[in-house]
Amino acid sequence: MKTRKDLFPGALEMMILQTLKTQPLHGYALVQIIKRSSNDLLQIEEGSLYPALQRMLKDGWVDASWGTSPTGRRIRIYELTPAGAAHLEREVTSFEQMLEGIRLVLSPVKP
Amino acid sequence: MNWVKQLLSRRRMDQELSDEIREHLDERTDDLIEQGMSPADAALAARREFGNVLLLEERGREVWRWTAIENFFADIRYAFRQLHRSPAFALAGVLTLALGIGANTAVFSVVNAVMLRPLPFPEPERLVSVESRKVLAVPSPDSLSYPTFFDFRDRNQVFDHIVSYRDDSFSLTGWGPAEHLSSQIVSWDLFDLLKVQPALGRGFLPHEESAGERVVVLSHDLWSNRFGADPTIVGRAITLDSQPYTVVGVAPAGFKFPVQNARVQLWTTLAKDAASDTLQPITRQRGARLLSAIARLKPGVTLQQAQLQIGAVAAALVREHPDQNKIVGSTFVRPELESLVGDANHAMLILLGAVGLVLLIGCANIANLLLARFAEREREFALRASIGAGRGRIVRQLITESLALSLSGAVAGVLFGMAMMRVLIPLAEGSIPRIQEVGIDARVLAFSAALAILTSLLFGLAPALRAARSDLVAPLKEGARSVSAGSGRLRSALVVVQISLGLVLLSGASLLAASFFHVLQRDLGLQPERILAFSANLPDKDYPRERALQLYSQLFERLKSLPGVSSAATAMPLPLTGDSMTISFKIEGRPTAPSERHFSSMAVVTPEFFKTLGTPLLEGRYFTGRDNGAAPPVLIVNRAFAEKFFPGESAVGKRIEPGATSDARGTRMREIVGVVGNAIQSPLKPQPSPIYYFPYEQLPWCCPAVIVRTANSPLALEGSIRGVVESIDKQLPVHEVRTLDRVFSMSMAGPRFQLLLLGSFAAIALLLMVVGLYGVIAYTVARRTGELGIRMALGASRQTLLGMVLGGAMRLVVIGVAIGLAGSLAVGHLLSRLLYGVEPRDPGLLLVACGSVALAAALAAWIPARRAASIDPLQALRCE
Repeated sequence: MKTRKDLFPGALEMMILQTLKTQPLHGYALVQIIKRSSNDLLQIEEGSLYPALQRMLKDGWVDASWGTSPTGRRIRIYELTPAGAAHLEREVTSFEQMLEGIRLVLSPVKP
Repeated sequence: MNWVKQLLSRRRMDQELSDEIREHLDERTDDLIEQGMSPADAALAARREFGNVLLLEERGREVWRWTAIENFFADIRYAFRQLHRSPAFALAGVLTLALGIGANTAVFSVVNAVMLRPLPFPEPERLVSVESRKVLAVPSPDSLSYPTFFDFRDRNQVFDHIVSYRDDSFSLTGWGPAEHLSSQIVSWDLFDLLKVQPALGRGFLPHEESAGERVVVLSHDLWSNRFGADPTIVGRAITLDSQPYTVVGVAPAGFKFPVQNARVQLWTTLAKDAASDTLQPITRQRGARLLSAIARLKPGVTLQQAQLQIGAVAAALVREHPDQNKIVGSTFVRPELESLVGDANHAMLILLGAVGLVLLIGCANIANLLLARFAEREREFALRASIGAGRGRIVRQLITESLALSLSGAVAGVLFGMAMMRVLIPLAEGSIPRIQEVGIDARVLAFSAALAILTSLLFGLAPALRAARSDLVAPLKEGARSVSAGSGRLRSALVVVQISLGLVLLSGASLLAASFFHVLQRDLGLQPERILAFSANLPDKDYPRERALQLYSQLFERLKSLPGVSSAATAMPLPLTGDSMTISFKIEGRPTAPSERHFSSMAVVTPEFFKTLGTPLLEGRYFTGRDNGAAPPVLIVNRAFAEKFFPGESAVGKRIEPGATSDARGTRMREIVGVVGNAIQSPLKPQPSPIYYFPYEQLPWCCPAVIVRTANSPLALEGSIRGVVESIDKQLPVHEVRTLDRVFSMSMAGPRFQLLLLGSFAAIALLLMVVGLYGVIAYTVARRTGELGIRMALGASRQTLLGMVLGGAMRLVVIGVAIGLAGSLAVGHLLSRLLYGVEPRDPGLLLVACGSVALAAALAAWIPARRAASIDPLQALRCE
């Protein structure tokens, strides 16, 4: 079964940026955290993370550097840049507005 | 410069991405093992959770690329690699395209130079030609007379300028050896009309049209070669025809007028015609129609307005001068470029169409090759589809491969086309104006590139569509045989198209060939072998009538004393050139109004003319030396003349009064003393024209050509002839030395050129068709090997199998020939203007063409059919 790759355009990016806001992480950890924090409700294809990270690297929202994990693995650690943080803020704001709009439309009209 | 860094570090970045993904998979695998999975299961599960590694990696990399462009280049690289991997296919494709695109490039470059390239003057689109329109069954353009030209010039408000011009020549003396110069007599404002500033000095002034004025403008070439580019030449006098002419200007380098005539070396005003010694100068003879005219439309005036106004003037002239102008009661005013290209236009368009058909046939061949290749490559595409290539990506790949093929073909084609033009242009031999200017320019290259793209779409579309439609993965399934049912039908249809187009070309070529040989074999009424012709113009000033007559009789005498020379004469115009002079006449006892007079071609000849040509006397007598100015005026007519004007009776003894004069006695009643065979003047006219011949001594008009019959090689005579002329008068330049065979060959240049081109196109088409049919039948046989084997195992004879395969092929041939026949009948009339003495729907020729196509097709099918019949059933079944 193939999973849905994206909820809506930009959703994956938003989740990655939000996750990186708390701490720098490498790809594998990033995936596990996103999966766990959504209680496995959001099924993302693990691999689709990497093209998204490449896009964000290119846009300058994240920085990457190679390091070593506590288990001695060679890993690439991603970090949020100020530009990435600003972008996240904008995205979250517009997302919340959209959500509010949807909620208003969907909720029953009060008499 | 961020992107430069990206470009340079890309390899490293790609590597990092791969590493990172691998680490991810390892980490996940380790986690899963920790959770209790076996290592193998863990690795599999990690991959499953990750998704398509290759595809995701590719997407990650694509982030950094200009995807569209890089994909395109990757496709191109891949396409060339594919071509490289199947060199036979690539060679066949590129060769076919090189032939097709090359031939198209060559023909188009001629069309471009001749028909599309604008005239080399400022605002060329406002230049128009003005011609009289002869009122005949088929109205034809005719030249203007000076009085008519003057009336056009004075009475129009539509032209900035209108200029008359006509061919003429001069002998230049007193400046090195005597030289014959080709010149033009023009009205004064030629340079103003063309908006061309002379390189030195000036153009002509209005008063320089008056009799007695003698001024010239030199061509840049003449000025550099003959006068050492001396800038002080302007204002000085040079001797032309023994008269002093003042040089007033030098034309700019590369200036050509008329545009199609690069040989013109100087221009003078019509003062030369106004000063003619003849009784009445031609500037005052309304019946002497020998001028061309070019005009420049005033700003804001349309061609239609000009046509209307000049037409009205021509109509008014008919009322004022019915006798001379009735026959030219209207005019042709058309763009100068169109009138310059003239009849060549039609032939060029036909050739362009024909060469287009060749390319279509070639495209059908390549489409067939590609379809066969696609069938073979189905597994490759299936594999690519299954590892993540989108359908669109594969279609794009196929189109790119076609494009790579056609671009290679176009490059080879342009080179081939250039080589072809080298061969072609000399063959046209002046039958197409401006053809010397043919070359490859931006427009030609754009045309070739457009052809390449168009052809790649034409032949690339079929397999691409097939790829877009079919189930790409099916062929990967075990044991599946690649059977694309529709493909066979499509390929057969392509072959039918090829056969029918090939037949259209072949029948066209056979019509041209029949017409060409018809002209070659017609009775010329003369023996052109071993006749040498040359000209030596006598300047009027040095050679008044008596001296000219003396000179010619002296010349003939000395020429005949040369070894091998049996006779010599003068002729004006020279036979076989297509040149003609037409003059009206009255027949004694048949009164007619002046405007209703009879017309016939005429010629002025000396007594030995017919003997030299080898034209037989049918009745009466030849001219003799006694038919001189003092003797009773006489004429000889040809058989066509006798039959047209004196049907059923003898022409000899009849008297007619032609409108030709040369002295104060005016026109005179002349007795016909002989009837000769039809010596052909214009080989391309279907019927021999009526001609009447005047003895030169009774009508000593200017500028005849001399003809000499010899028993030896005529060209070997040139040196001695020059010696003879020089021994009589050192100041007479001998020019236009050529054999009569050569004259004939020149007049055939147009039809020969067309035949050569259309013939080679038809040959190429036939070849491509044979290859195409062979390919399709061979492919069918290969695919049906199993079936044929079974049939044979079940007892079918080899004869039956042969019949089966041939029958299948012949069905295509019959359909193709039927369509082609219909096409030939439909387009045959397009050729009728290029045909002489052959009907465009000649059933015999069509039959031969159909037969040839069918035979060639049968041969093409025979080889694979025989292979089918010689199948070893055991082996065939084992293949299955």
